[in-house]
Amino acid sequence: MREIITVQVGGFANFIGSHFWNFQDELLGLADDPYADEIFKHQQMDMDVLYRSGETPQGILTYSPRLVSIDFQGTLGAMNSRGSLYDSSPATKDVYTWEGNISTHTSEPQKKNLFLQSLDDEQISNKNKGGEIDHGREYQEKDIIECLESGVKFWTDYTKVLYHPKSLTELSGLWMDAADFSNYGIGKEALHCGHQGEEIIERLRFFVEECDHIQGFQFIVDDSGGFSAVAAEFLENIADDYTNTPVLLYTARDPRSYKKLGQRNEKIFQVLHDAVSFSRLSSLCQLIVPMGLPFLSTSKACTFLSIEDEKPYHSSAVYAAALHSTSIPFRMQYLRQPADPHDVSGAINMNDMVRMLSDNARKNTVAILDISMPAPSLRGKDVRQSLLSHFHPLTYEIEEDVEDLHSVEAVNIHGVIGPGGHCASVSEVKDSVDYAYDHAKSRPKFCHLSATRTPLPIPLPFPSIFSSLIGSQGELQGGSTTSSTSRGSLDVHSIPLATRLRMSNAILPYLESRLNNLMRFGIQRGAAGSDLIRGWGLSRDELEDMGESLTRMVMNLKPGDEISDDSD
Amino acid sequence: MSLRVLNPNAEVLNKSAALHMNINAAKGLQDVLKTNLGPKGTIKMLVGGAGDIKLTKDGNTLLKEMQIQNPTAIMIARTAVAQDDISGDGTTSTVLFTGELMKQSERYIDEGMHPHVLVDGFDIAKRATLQFLEKFKTPVVMGSEPDKEILKMVARTALRTKLYESLADQLTDIIVNAVLCIRKPEEAIDLFMVEIMHMRHKFDVDTRLVEGLVLDHGSRHPDMKRRAENCYILTCNVSLEYEKSEINAGFFYSSAEQREAMVAAERHSVDERVKKIIELKKKVCSGNDSNFVVINQKGIDPPSLDLLARAGIIALRRAKRRNMERLVLACGGEAVNSVDDLTHDCLGWAGLVYEHVLGEDKYTFVENVKNPHSCTILIKGPNDHTIAQIKDAVRDGLRAVKNTIEDESVILGAGAFEAAARQYLINEVKKTVHGRAQLGVEAFANALLVIPKTLAENSGLDTQDAIIALTGEHDRGNVVGLNLQTGEPIDPQMEGIFDNYSVKRQIINSGPVIASQLLLVDEVIRAGRNMRKPT
Ligand SMILES: Nc1ncnc2c1ncn2[C@@H]1O[C@H](COP(=O)(O)OP(=O)(O)OP(=O)(O)O)[C@@H](O)[C@H]1O
Ligand SMILES: [Mg+2]
Repeated sequence: MREIITVQVGGFANFIGSHFWNFQDELLGLADDPYADEIFKHQQMDMDVLYRSGETPQGILTYSPRLVSIDFQGTLGAMNSRGSLYDSSPATKDVYTWEGNISTHTSEPQKKNLFLQSLDDEQISNKNKGGEIDHGREYQEKDIIECLESGVKFWTDYTKVLYHPKSLTELSGLWMDAADFSNYGIGKEALHCGHQGEEIIERLRFFVEECDHIQGFQFIVDDSGGFSAVAAEFLENIADDYTNTPVLLYTARDPRSYKKLGQRNEKIFQVLHDAVSFSRLSSLCQLIVPMGLPFLSTSKACTFLSIEDEKPYHSSAVYAAALHSTSIPFRMQYLRQPADPHDVSGAINMNDMVRMLSDNARKNTVAILDISMPAPSLRGKDVRQSLLSHFHPLTYEIEEDVEDLHSVEAVNIHGVIGPGGHCASVSEVKDSVDYAYDHAKSRPKFCHLSATRTPLPIPLPFPSIFSSLIGSQGELQGGSTTSSTSRGSLDVHSIPLATRLRMSNAILPYLESRLNNLMRFGIQRGAAGSDLIRGWGLSRDELEDMGESLTRMVMNLKPGDEISDDSD
Repeated sequence: MSLRVLNPNAEVLNKSAALHMNINAAKGLQDVLKTNLGPKGTIKMLVGGAGDIKLTKDGNTLLKEMQIQNPTAIMIARTAVAQDDISGDGTTSTVLFTGELMKQSERYIDEGMHPHVLVDGFDIAKRATLQFLEKFKTPVVMGSEPDKEILKMVARTALRTKLYESLADQLTDIIVNAVLCIRKPEEAIDLFMVEIMHMRHKFDVDTRLVEGLVLDHGSRHPDMKRRAENCYILTCNVSLEYEKSEINAGFFYSSAEQREAMVAAERHSVDERVKKIIELKKKVCSGNDSNFVVINQKGIDPPSLDLLARAGIIALRRAKRRNMERLVLACGGEAVNSVDDLTHDCLGWAGLVYEHVLGEDKYTFVENVKNPHSCTILIKGPNDHTIAQIKDAVRDGLRAVKNTIEDESVILGAGAFEAAARQYLINEVKKTVHGRAQLGVEAFANALLVIPKTLAENSGLDTQDAIIALTGEHDRGNVVGLNLQTGEPIDPQMEGIFDNYSVKRQIINSGPVIASQLLLVDEVIRAGRNMRKPT
């Protein structure tokens, strides 16, 4: 077994996670569904990598994500932090410990939206009638989708996954709005409140202990505010326990978190946070992938999507799709005798992936994430040639069109439509990629390709973010854009998807801006933000270390500079 | 969970309005917490929007569950919670005392008195009260054999404010024994060496002390014994799983063969480590009926488990970091980081090791140990919120015992100290103060009475009668507290109602500090100013 444990930290990370697990849940469902497309029955994916088997005290078997999620108190909406998987009976209100007075304080119940109600109904009817479809439903899927489009407030509003009672944690005792939990300093202390930090470490340990051979941790961190410090503290605390377990860390930003910063000190505040947060997090993982575009909706990555930046429900869906894609090589079945070698190829475990990408002479551990959503079909020479030009970054502040002969890439392609109009076989995909690279301006030094025939399934609660050009299999429908309404899960059932992790000096602007800001506003004598940083509990030494490590990262990537490998 | 959301202030207010807002916020917080106080207080059940339940009788827990928005209230809450972090108790009293100081001040301020004068008076009164506390405290001699009776009385007093009597009493012995178990002469008490473990149990609320350790996991191999007697315990932090040697080894395979070779080499070195453990087992267990248990902080993969199981060894992986220390204190031996120089001396010993399974939860009991210096309090409860509340209470009790041992003194409870201190301030201190600061001393003295007053109120007694009876006795020179059943004065010493000296000290200290800050506002203090964005 090659288990991966996912850790989601902070608001947007959990929004992404919610979509991510919906994809997995959908794949699990499709594999068992007699009416589902053949392609989903031979996924040759090992779901045990991400999921654990368990058992309730009542002896009911369970299958739930290997997940630890951390968020703000009050962000679970209508979901109970223990989930409903292990607690089917409503909690009793009996008090066993006190004979004196009891007062009960009940918060206004969180109303379940139509989608969550439909899940409940389904569960009940499954129990009662053994899975028979209930025709007396008063609402239609259309209504559900509408209610999600207009009313998602919490990430739990659209999650269809049942979580383990040890998975979801809320930080309490912070006494502030999520909006005020906005910087590194404020997050630093959050885990120290009571026993929360220890409790979370214990929960992680619970998931690790049952792993026979863990391949790594996958962190998704909302690094726009205090949660980057929460993640950093957490990582630091576990570093000793899991020395040889790699950490692949995605930082994620909601488009809304790039506020217009009017005043100068607000700006200083933000850029210092960015610098400190990046430098801490990157030092605590083996590979860091910054994601989050300020204007996702109008970005090239969303050419065929219609996203509303104001809705994290929308934007997180794109990042979740990307994450799903990049995690696929880690869970392809290693088959001794592959049933059909045309179905999957390019399995690699997280450790090897991380080493492959980062272990180049440049010691770069910051990856750029590119996406092609939906991925183009491989019909015709032109497309094959331009396959690479369909990749667009989800990483901000990078240089476009750089030629980097030292770059290393991991490309994941799944479910693309081949020359024949059907799902492309793995060898067709390989050929196309080779062809594309042969005709590209420059080739990376090394490229790992992993491919499967399984496309990304679109679950019901997926937002309506596809442009009207997208067909039900995610194909680009020719012709003119007749209608401008976006399409969702009722019209689009699956899409081909491609992503790429790219180790390239195109990341330099991202690194340099962090380095420069740290120097200018934090370290230099009389720096405008030095008081602020002290308020965050960072010492001068710590800052200088951060500065040094950022400098090293930049130097290592500067083109032309011969990589000097002297003692460091 | 919105128990009561205090209004956030919107704008910066002028001085007087700001002052009154502070006073109101402090009073508001006091109102929320006051029913908590004492053995007759009210337990609160908080039901969240999604039906999740929290149960608390504790000021600290309650504050953390509240969504407080008012900056003044947050400031008080932070101080009170910090108090709990340091001494483990007295959160409710701190909030009440602060609120009452503000309430008492309000009268004088409304009459036109300057807050400065009050604050000066507070300062004098505080110092006098702290001095008085030194005289008032009951010294406890803590030699090599601490006075168990007094420890029990302190623990019982604390526990009975959180749990019903018979449950509290059952826990009292457990807690005192637990602390005495881990205590080492001449060393600070490390309460982490008491593990607190819980189990869900249908209807029962039960607690027991395990002299030894309970781990929340079991062995991971079907052939390993679930129960074994006379066990050697190897406590280690050694990777017994196949893994790439180093993540950033600066090297990547150039061919499949090379990779295979790497894998084989790595596997071999893991096997070697396992074999060293097996060798030791053979050495110590041959020719006798003893068993061998490995408890490892790192992972153990299935091939290693296989080897160990075949050698008749029970193995647990991924033990808590802290259990490395606890195991050694409980069973003896040492925690090893390498299997290279294993000897008999590395091993600990336990008379009994067995596994208990509840659904997917497994527990391993390491019991019947010799001369343990670490132990486990095992809590059984029907649901999470009950377990969590008992856990809080256990922590309170442990802290109370530890404080007593370290303070080498205790304070008479049930309002006795507060009444005595008040009397001292009014009769002795006030007259030594010049001018209007006297009124500050008086306000402080009267604010102390909030503790006995609230205790009486929570017990359904007539507070005025109770306070008159209490202060009357003190005027006659009798140091008494309140009997919460009858409202009559009682001798806390006789009843065994004792509070911690260090906790009282902190309450006396922090109450006036916050109150003074709140009184001297120029404008509204924004919540944790330093933690906010500068605007
Ligand atoms: N049997 C009793 N009779 C009268 N007073 C008692 C008795 N037991 C405890 N008290 C008093 O109750 C008070 C402690 O109450 P409680 O533990 O509820 O609050 P706290 O310690 O201030 O805050 P918290 O425990 O919530 O952090 C002390 O003043 C103590 O003297
Ligand atoms: Mg108390």
